[in-house]
Amino acid sequence: MICICSEPENQRKFLDRKDGNKLIRFIKLYKIFVAQFLKNLMEYRIDFLTGAVSFLIGQITNILFITIIFSQIPSLAGWKYYEIMFIYGYSLLPKGIDHLLTDNLWSVAYFIVRKGDFDKYLTRPINPLLHVIMEKFQFDALGELITGIVLVIYSAIQLNYVPGAEEVLVILITILFGTLIFTSVKIACCAIAFWIKKSGSILQIFYMSSDFARYPITIYNKGVRFIISYVIPFAFTSYYPAAYLLRGGNGFVCAGKTILISSIVFCISLLIWNRGISAYESAGS
Amino acid sequence: MIEVKNLKKEFEKTIKDPGLSGAIMSLIHKKTTTVKAVDGLTMHVDEGEILGFIGPNGAGKSTAIKMLTGILTPTSGTLKINGQIPYKNRKEYVKEIGVVFGQRTQLWWDLPLVETYSVLKEIYCIDEAKFKDRMDFLNEVLNLQEFIKSPVRTLSLGQRMRADIAASMLHSPKVLFLDEPTIGLDVVVKDNIRKAISKINKNDKTTIILTTHDLNDIETLCERIVMIDKGKMVYDGSLYHMKETYGKMREVIIALNNPEEIKNIKPDKKFGLTADDYDIAKKANSVSMKFNSAKVEIPDMLNYILGTVSVKDITVKDADIEEIIKKIYKSEVKPGEAV
Repeated sequence: MICICSEPENQRKFLDRKDGNKLIRFIKLYKIFVAQFLKNLMEYRIDFLTGAVSFLIGQITNILFITIIFSQIPSLAGWKYYEIMFIYGYSLLPKGIDHLLTDNLWSVAYFIVRKGDFDKYLTRPINPLLHVIMEKFQFDALGELITGIVLVIYSAIQLNYVPGAEEVLVILITILFGTLIFTSVKIACCAIAFWIKKSGSILQIFYMSSDFARYPITIYNKGVRFIISYVIPFAFTSYYPAAYLLRGGNGFVCAGKTILISSIVFCISLLIWNRGISAYESAGS
Repeated sequence: MIEVKNLKKEFEKTIKDPGLSGAIMSLIHKKTTTVKAVDGLTMHVDEGEILGFIGPNGAGKSTAIKMLTGILTPTSGTLKINGQIPYKNRKEYVKEIGVVFGQRTQLWWDLPLVETYSVLKEIYCIDEAKFKDRMDFLNEVLNLQEFIKSPVRTLSLGQRMRADIAASMLHSPKVLFLDEPTIGLDVVVKDNIRKAISKINKNDKTTIILTTHDLNDIETLCERIVMIDKGKMVYDGSLYHMKETYGKMREVIIALNNPEEIKNIKPDKKFGLTADDYDIAKKANSVSMKFNSAKVEIPDMLNYILGTVSVKDITVKDADIEEIIKKIYKSEVKPGEAV
């Protein structure tokens, strides 16, 4: 019985179907952390306010920047000023939700693995990925979310845009699965730390590439367009759904494509994550 | 309970020359070497046993523990604990074990202790009644009551360690791994923790694997010790047996009426002892002499000392386990050889 690890992935599935109440348990646990977080807000008030304000300032600067540029250029590759603002705002929604919920993945990339603190997650009978995620609730993300909501609503009003029932459904689906795209990219990049100990900069680069998707992707050349559509598919988190909403098209195809693409990225990221866990080497103590 | 056969763990390590240029060179041309952290470990632990797992820093203790707890995947060898293979059925396996790493806490920094335990209650799916019973027991053994409402970050090291041990015991594990549970603690707290460990072991018949550098932990808790060095086992047996076999070096403490007389004690001349077999050290108010009791009987040595110098007080110390281990660590003796 030589037991060189052959298929540990089998035991480390994201959610085992046989145990349906696992998700409920996870939500219960997350609630404890969120409640505790809210209590802590009082204690770390200054830190929270600084974080939220700095994000807001960052977002406002970005909007000002766009305003200045587009006051010179009334349209870009056929997109009007408020349409661009709509796409920009839309991109912040899935990004903000992901930021709110899974921010602890950054710590995995930067130090949890490097310092050997990942040991803890492996000695508990709960999926390590869920365990890492539930530990942190990043309120700073509200800066992004609020800016996003304000931009989308404001530009929609300016464009006299009112979504119908089908559009609302597409909005919900694309935001949900757009969030999954962000989370998947983060999972995959932070899992690289299992091999190279620290993958913060890699995560940073990939995460920053989502900035491309804040603008109509028709302004880029074919290469960039292909990459942000099918390699790191951030275009599905904002441009494609926003283009459908503003310019029309097949809502079923738009939502379906987003679901398909995000599911593929998610599966790949879980594969990388699970392989990473078997490669984990801990740290000396 | 625990069955380990020929367990090995190798790490690939990059060799870097010192300095920035070395770092750059290693990027271009990567040189690696294989480090055998654990090299063919075989051991067996019975249910309810407390095993002292000792060895010098870097001997491979932690790596071995991490394989036993399912954190690391062994390079080769077999491992069966509580009927399970840790790294294969990890999620099932860890339900039955508790782990404490003394060096780092497993608790959540900002959560009050009480909340920490309710999180763990959910993680381990402990039902309400059982949880309450367990908390009562742990409270009694570890005195958590006084700080249970404080956030973990405000706890003292001693409190934190007690909290950590309680956290690892909440789900009544069958096997408990304690990696340096008394590190950095004061004597009183150490003593309390030892008592708690012993109580938990008796109460639940928990099998305990304890690694430590504090030999008092070993002496109070463990009947059996396994010592490893450079990834290999160098000793497996009872503490008593270790003293019997290796504890030939005995120490006599002599208080002299005239400290100058120390130079008159010459066991080398009298008994023909070589430098390896004895050692005389001057202490603040006394002289300590260590000698190999296999070469010279204790009464002979005492007679010689009493006949040579004027003695105020004299004590013969028991075989010092620390001394034995120190020598084995320094590879001055090979296992099986007398110290």
